[in-house]
Amino acid sequence: MPHPLRIPSPPWMRRTLQTLVGLLALSLTSAFAQQPTAPALSGHGSYLGVHAKQASQQTADHSKFKILQGPFKDGDGSAVTRACLTCHTRAAEQVMATQHWLWRIPEKGLEGYGKSTNLVNNFCISTIGGNTASCARCHAGYGYKDKTFDFTRAENVDCLVCHDTTGDYEKENEGLPNPAVPLADVAQKVGRPSLRNCGVCHFFGGGADATKHGDLDDTILTAPRTEDVHMSKQGAGMYCVDCHVAPSHQVGGPDYVIPADRREQPKYAGEETSRMSCTACHSSMPHDSYILNRHYQKVACQTCHIPAFARGKLGSNLWWDWSTSGRLKDGKPYKEEDANGFEIYNSMHGEMTWGRNVTPTYVWYNGNMKFTRLTDTLPATRPVVLNPTEGSYGDPNAKIWPFKFHEGNQPYDPVLNHLIAPYTAGPAGSGAYWGDWKWEPAIKMGMATAGLPYSGKYDFVRTTMLWPITHMVAPKEDALKCTECHAKKGRLEAVPGFYLIGRDRGTGVDFIGIAVIILTILGVGIHGVIRYLHGRH
Amino acid sequence: MRRIVLYEKFERFWHWAQALIILTMMLTGFEIRGLLPHIFGFQRAVTVHNILAVSLVTLIVFAIFWHVTTGEWRQYIPTRKFLGEMVGFYLTGIFKGAPHPVKKHRMAKLNPLQRLAYLGFKVMIIPVQVTTGALFYYYPNLQHAFGWSPSVLWVIAVVHVLGAFGLVAFLFGHVYLTTTGHTPTTNIKAMLVGWEDIPDDEYFDEAE
Repeated sequence: MPHPLRIPSPPWMRRTLQTLVGLLALSLTSAFAQQPTAPALSGHGSYLGVHAKQASQQTADHSKFKILQGPFKDGDGSAVTRACLTCHTRAAEQVMATQHWLWRIPEKGLEGYGKSTNLVNNFCISTIGGNTASCARCHAGYGYKDKTFDFTRAENVDCLVCHDTTGDYEKENEGLPNPAVPLADVAQKVGRPSLRNCGVCHFFGGGADATKHGDLDDTILTAPRTEDVHMSKQGAGMYCVDCHVAPSHQVGGPDYVIPADRREQPKYAGEETSRMSCTACHSSMPHDSYILNRHYQKVACQTCHIPAFARGKLGSNLWWDWSTSGRLKDGKPYKEEDANGFEIYNSMHGEMTWGRNVTPTYVWYNGNMKFTRLTDTLPATRPVVLNPTEGSYGDPNAKIWPFKFHEGNQPYDPVLNHLIAPYTAGPAGSGAYWGDWKWEPAIKMGMATAGLPYSGKYDFVRTTMLWPITHMVAPKEDALKCTECHAKKGRLEAVPGFYLIGRDRGTGVDFIGIAVIILTILGVGIHGVIRYLHGRH
Repeated sequence: MRRIVLYEKFERFWHWAQALIILTMMLTGFEIRGLLPHIFGFQRAVTVHNILAVSLVTLIVFAIFWHVTTGEWRQYIPTRKFLGEMVGFYLTGIFKGAPHPVKKHRMAKLNPLQRLAYLGFKVMIIPVQVTTGALFYYYPNLQHAFGWSPSVLWVIAVVHVLGAFGLVAFLFGHVYLTTTGHTPTTNIKAMLVGWEDIPDDEYFDEAE
């Protein structure tokens, strides 16, 4: 009689199995052998040699040109420009098509975007309320003092601010050269823009070093590799234009719509050489690990590779309260610094806070931002978000991006529900806020200069802005570790719309699971105790 | 007493390799979830968990092949024969020293409860874990390709985690029940060396 539970079948092919087992063991051991390699100390080599070579390969020695011998009248930048244009006949025409010159976006749907129009922020607020002459120190032109400026006049283009290699060039109000600048000398030594050329304006956004961007300040000029792997001379030693490639003076840049990496497409023929996305050089699969590479689908490179901004010696502005400005001591404006040397009060600006090594704010972002203009009606929500970002988990173009979160308190018109462009930069007696310390005339004059309606009433409104962080990339060994985000209370704690391992641990699920385990242990434990007490098995 | 071979070399290798893989996957998995202190470190835990997942699937492919080709799969065919007796044995008989109600045989080494438990393990828990694990791993691709809602990932994660808790519970029950053999270590020893010395009255002799 066969065994009641036996269901017979002839055993065969055992030898084949033994071979397969051997193969399995091999696959296991080789899988474990894949260990991460030690990080290399210097990334992809240095651009210092590249820049030296570019300089040595120039076919023209500008000091040999008669027309650049001068002498040029002190402060007469246009005379230099006229000289430049005798050879570079189309250069001004090219520059005059750019944001560096126009300060506005001519494209449809972006009307009012740009410093020369109705755009507003919560730092210096606006240029067009009478501050143009002062703000134009960073305009790539000469004589921009108000809206009568002739944007079609080629000799108004400032060639030297971008092409000076001496470091002696300096701009004053209306963008005119400081009369002390030795123009002929500067003109004879022109070259490709270095970090300093771009930095004289872009490091000083918001009115002072490091104030606005958080990832750009002049510590980059002497930065160790740990502060910025690309721009540090210890790192790649790159210049801005090595990534923001500028064929025909069209400097690659965000133009208020910052391309998320995946959206990065050439905007016009010839721009293919743009390296304004990480992947242009590093590819979209730069890691050894498939899982790390796959993060790129939803996480911008910057998110992990810029663990904090303002990593130099300078603090970046985080809070600017215009409502507290204008306090005077003995009728005079004053400044206060805290123990760290941060300016926590300035009569011109009000109370401020600053931060170094600041953890960014993380937001879903597909490259689109809607900026608030002076003509826009404010939403009812407070604080007013001045540049809301677009994007969500389900948006295939969106990624989690790092931002500098900036808060402000700035004047607005509570009747018309618009933001206000006050006249700030002017001498005593002009009605400007920094001259006479009175909001009412400053706002009235500002709005009249800007050609915008004003009800006569003002108040202050809390505003917030998000500034994308993309510079100050850290060495790879300083990139975020997994548990910076894959943890409860991690960096992505507040980023909504998706399940994140390590963050979204439902306590209910864990409770059920642990209860099942405890009940099992109790069950077998009791069974075992009874067995033991019966002294058998 | 007679010595019978219960577990072939491959079967023992399969069992212990699977045990090692699953135990390590429990440690790494619960570390990733944040329920265990950092043993491996998150990144290494993820790497190890994923490598072991592939290893486990490879092992299972071989095991299926082995079960099919040797006919050993028939050992897992569920049956109601002696099922009631087995339940009764574990509930009362075992305490009184009653004889095991099912006699062992080389090709019928599992009692009806074991058959049910291991069949459930093989066709329920493991496939659920493997499937949800694979869905978990490839979720970004699937989400991108099919436009799945983010809450699908939550469902996948919850099922995978509940399955993992189930496996831990299974492990405790399984290890405890190995002690219910002739002596508490008989069964574990059999799984290590392959054979068991079975008293004549517990062996089913076809010649009888």
